[in-house]
Amino acid sequence: MLKTTVVGSYPKISSDRNVPNLRTALNQFERKKISADELEEVYRATIKRIIKEQEDAGIDIITDGQIRWNDLLTPFAEKIEGCKINGLLRFFDNNFYYRKPVIKSQILFREYTTLGDYQYARKHSNRSLKAVLPGSLTWAKLSDNHHYKDPKNLIADFSLILQKEAKRLDQEGVEYIQFEEPSLCNFPREIDMVRESLKTITPGLKAKTILFLYFGSIRGLIPELFDLPVDVIGIDLVSKPENIALLLETDIKRELILGCLDARNTRIENEEEVLKLIQKVSRKISPDKIYISPSCGLEFLPHENALKKLRLLSSIASRFNS
Amino acid sequence: MLFTTSVGSFPKPDYITKARAMFSRGEIAEEKLHSLERKATYDWIRFQEEIGIDILVHGEMERGDMVTYFAERMEGFGTSGLVRSYGNRYYRKPLITGEIKRTSPITVETFRYAQDLTSKPVKGMLTGPYTMMDWSFNEHYPGRKDAALALAKVIHQEVADLEKAGAKYIQIDEPALSTRPEEIELAIEAMTIVTRGIKSKTISHICYGDFSKIYPRLLDFPVNQLDLEFANSNFSNLEVFRNPKFTKEIAVGVIDSHSHIIETKEKVKANIKMALEVFPLEKVYIDPDCGLKTRTVEETRAKLKVMVEAVREIKQELGIK
Repeated sequence: MLKTTVVGSYPKISSDRNVPNLRTALNQFERKKISADELEEVYRATIKRIIKEQEDAGIDIITDGQIRWNDLLTPFAEKIEGCKINGLLRFFDNNFYYRKPVIKSQILFREYTTLGDYQYARKHSNRSLKAVLPGSLTWAKLSDNHHYKDPKNLIADFSLILQKEAKRLDQEGVEYIQFEEPSLCNFPREIDMVRESLKTITPGLKAKTILFLYFGSIRGLIPELFDLPVDVIGIDLVSKPENIALLLETDIKRELILGCLDARNTRIENEEEVLKLIQKVSRKISPDKIYISPSCGLEFLPHENALKKLRLLSSIASRFNS
Repeated sequence: MLFTTSVGSFPKPDYITKARAMFSRGEIAEEKLHSLERKATYDWIRFQEEIGIDILVHGEMERGDMVTYFAERMEGFGTSGLVRSYGNRYYRKPLITGEIKRTSPITVETFRYAQDLTSKPVKGMLTGPYTMMDWSFNEHYPGRKDAALALAKVIHQEVADLEKAGAKYIQIDEPALSTRPEEIELAIEAMTIVTRGIKSKTISHICYGDFSKIYPRLLDFPVNQLDLEFANSNFSNLEVFRNPKFTKEIAVGVIDSHSHIIETKEKVKANIKMALEVFPLEKVYIDPDCGLKTRTVEETRAKLKVMVEAVREIKQELGIK
């Protein structure tokens, strides 16, 4: 049975004007028109809504939507010692910006970053849940390192922070823990660092672990990618269509998430074409080991388009499975 | 030599921000908004003249997002729902739904108004085809290339109209270019269509990227002048341009557009001196890194003043009039 999942992020505001609006609430909070508790209520209502929307669309493995995440970098940067946050930079090739973490001294765990929202999501869903964490290579590459002489040590210290976070999520019973590593596509030679990092984090976890690569090509990462110490590899097949051919030529030794719907364009894919693609892959590995997802987080789309992609994903999976 | 200029946008005074919000709610007429925009443009032109900037910009009081503004004025575009760009900022991303066409000039009237206010040259300001394509959803054209080239033809018409209206400098910005180095050939092909046959000086501003991936191919970008940011990264990207030698005119960003801190004159002078070690003096223009619309009016004025004073002193030191 082929399963469906999302990558991680989800549009924070709804196209439905009658539900609590996080954008408005954040503006009001900034102007001191609502309290922190009132803002928190809107956060929670948003998580609940996003969970319900994923469930209603028929997604098998869902996330809390990462609604407190302004980008992949800042949530951890705000919750660890040794780090400040600087100005805006473009996030890969998107018209979307992240704030750059600046490493001032040794980075150390201070408090959990994702735990609260995970626990809240768990209370409101019986579906399989996935926790999403930044990969240590990507986090290090997109930061400004003013402290570590050897970037390896920065990655090692960030891995310890991720290890602690992952262990705690695992104790809570999370089904999947995903590490997002878009930078690995740009720095394929750094795969050894990613391996070392994952070796620190993944052993002993009961949850299935996922490494997700988006935006880039996996050329240069084959075949080592499928030897990394994780259970599942997620690949964006849309941004770089060559990834399809590269995948079909490879010995796929892990479970696989096929990022097969474009999460960066509103155009709706042809269902038959996507089905054909999945069928090709399923001749190489059992459908029980395949998941399908959008190509990256859904926050690059307006809410109504993100929903359409989720429904399409679910419809493709049902057709494949029947 | 060492002409001073700006990248394009200036902050909108509060009365413009308020008027735009009222206009979008239908509370004031379009002509009321336009008259306020003209007043703000007038003030920015006067300010630039007062402090002694050489090549002026009109400040883009009438524009919100640099892609959306043009998309809303071309045929073939619709708009999407809201997409977040950072923090709690959202925008409506343009959506290509049909063949792209231009029914009438988009920027010529605003350019004429600004140019008539001053004897100094005012730049014509456009967004390039590659960036318009890259920052839009595309449901119509089969691929990225088809969309970019269709946009290029339409933007060429606008460039030609600006030239006819008397624009001596026409800037066509491609900030998206440096993020997909593998697509520089497409960006070049599109810009070739945009600038074909144009005699006015053409400029392109590119920001937020790793120039090492597109240099020296960038030298073949079919414009006369490239406008690049340096201050933001403390000139760490300068070395890239040392070898091979830079052959175009260059506008060097010496002021950090994204920082609230007003640079000291000494800092800006040091920045200019660093640039002059790599770029030939006769090809260098001086400006901020990027548009200044995210700064306050006061910060913008202070930053530009420091920039002009620094250039004046450098010129004295070098014995340039």
